[in-house]
Amino acid sequence: MISALVAKDVKLFFRNRFFATVTGLALVLYLAIYFLLPLQTENSVGVAIHLEDPAASPEFRQRLTEDEDFTLFPSKDEMLAALEDTDDYFVGMSVPAAAAQAVARGEATTLQAFYAPDVPAEAKQVFHELLVFIANMVNPDLMARLSPIEETEFVLGHDLLGQPLAVRDRFLPLLLLAMVMTEVLGLGTLIVREIETGTARALLTGPLRLPTFLVAKIVTGLVLAMSQVVIVVLVTGKIVVSPLLLLTTLFLGSLLIVGMAFFIAAISRNNTSVLAWGTLTLILFLIPALSIMLPGLASGWMELVPSHYLADALHRVLNFQAGWADVARDLFLLAAAGPAALVIGGAVLRRRL
Amino acid sequence: MTMIQVSDLSLTYPGTRDPAVDGISFEVGQGEIFGFLGPSGAGKSTTQRVLCKLLQHWSGSATVMDRSLTAWGQDYFAHVGVSFELPNHYLQLTARENLKLFANLYPQDVTRSEDLMAVVDLTADADTRVGQFSKGMMQRLSFVRAFQHEPRLVFLDEPTAGLDPVNARRITDHLQTLRADGCTIFLTTHDMHIADLLCDRVAFMVQGRLALIDTPRNLRLAQGRKQVQVEYRTGEGRRQELFDLDGIGGNERFAELLRSEEIETIHTQEATLEDIFIRTTGEQLL
Repeated sequence: MISALVAKDVKLFFRNRFFATVTGLALVLYLAIYFLLPLQTENSVGVAIHLEDPAASPEFRQRLTEDEDFTLFPSKDEMLAALEDTDDYFVGMSVPAAAAQAVARGEATTLQAFYAPDVPAEAKQVFHELLVFIANMVNPDLMARLSPIEETEFVLGHDLLGQPLAVRDRFLPLLLLAMVMTEVLGLGTLIVREIETGTARALLTGPLRLPTFLVAKIVTGLVLAMSQVVIVVLVTGKIVVSPLLLLTTLFLGSLLIVGMAFFIAAISRNNTSVLAWGTLTLILFLIPALSIMLPGLASGWMELVPSHYLADALHRVLNFQAGWADVARDLFLLAAAGPAALVIGGAVLRRRL
Repeated sequence: MTMIQVSDLSLTYPGTRDPAVDGISFEVGQGEIFGFLGPSGAGKSTTQRVLCKLLQHWSGSATVMDRSLTAWGQDYFAHVGVSFELPNHYLQLTARENLKLFANLYPQDVTRSEDLMAVVDLTADADTRVGQFSKGMMQRLSFVRAFQHEPRLVFLDEPTAGLDPVNARRITDHLQTLRADGCTIFLTTHDMHIADLLCDRVAFMVQGRLALIDTPRNLRLAQGRKQVQVEYRTGEGRRQELFDLDGIGGNERFAELLRSEEIETIHTQEATLEDIFIRTTGEQLL
């Protein structure tokens, strides 16, 4: 009985030209975006320096030459040309001729810093401190008095040194979540159409029981949501990263989304209101995944949005090869939120039917 | 054998004061076509919905196929067919796919679909998507869906609405065949012609109560006049005269009229169901 209903729903979904087209195009588009995003990440911070001062510490010159983030230019013009014409440098500084002596005398010294146009204000602040430090170091006396400090590094979490996360990989959890979330609209519309056109009533005045009807809708939702994301993880090759853990995460996340679709279908009068409520939910649920792409967006309240745990688990599994134990908290919360959403959504929908 | 036995059935919708159905009682026998008539809002659909187990929180008692309605589970619908007034099909599926989907829900083998499609002349369109059907075709498909699992009791709501006379005739003929085979039909309609033609008994419902219940013939006779109207043409135009049916064989004026005038029509004056409907409900049929 359930398989007949699911087959019918899937058939209806793909015979609806709008949904069939949007689903196909979205799949192609998402994959295209993924593959068009850069695979390599530029994680060096290029600093162009021209030391005009012949008295600058040779030791310091040597140190700058050895550090791959710094490039010494023989002239100010060449430094400026490199800053403007290439994407290799974020900031440039020319240390004037008398700077070393002036610093030694404790006199105020003016330095000119040149920034590439896309350097954000926060970065400028950091560069400012760096440039002041560099300018002070041109004085050989100061350089000689530098205390040798041993540094011990502690990396909290997964150490990304030497293996920076490519933009496309940062994007992947957002992409998967967006695909799963889109099914809120698809499933919600299918259910509302069944109510509007009376086919749900026709089914329920047959041997079909309401719980069976709802279970069939859950399976339909899971099939629609998971089939596309499975295609994406297959095409992107990410399926090889803990396939069972990945599929479990997507399954639990899909349950949550199906529960939301039930709720939206129950409170929506027609397809337009499904679209309105669905879009609102979509935006809210995508924010946690956006914060993975743009970590600056991350905020504590996002943990209140259940999709946070799906996005976080996907991010860790796909990008950091996290294991079951690493994402146990996310999975546990998803396993609680998914069925809870189903129960609440199912109860509200039951009243509507 | 009694198929439906309803006693003191009442139902008030939440948020309303007046009951939609107010203490009605009736019985429907096996193999009977029972017409449920009345104006919109009279409580016909509510009664049908209760009997289709679509509504809860009603009071009174209802026994269907010798079992309390509340005691029936979803297996009830293995024996019951339902056809709604507004066709409700999956428009993106073909007629055959629609029927097959519903057939798959029944525990018993459903084998009558193709025969019934032939009866209502849908075989040629069986593989056409229902979205391309006319209202009449959808109505005929509803009819097939309601009967394809060979139910013992069928609830039909306006089964001939939107049908051309030929297809309406196909449906009514088949309903009479099904009645002869012992199928019970609970028919809700505004079409007094269909009710008169098909129903063994009719019930008139007004404001949640049953106002009349009897055979169409008894109602017609009881509420009509035992007279005959003769319409004839003279040199001055058309004229009518009424004669009492009692003793009409010896009525000289009647015999004279038949002999000497150009008779156009002769009608007995029993009431039609439409007259009774209007008289009972106080509302004009549209």
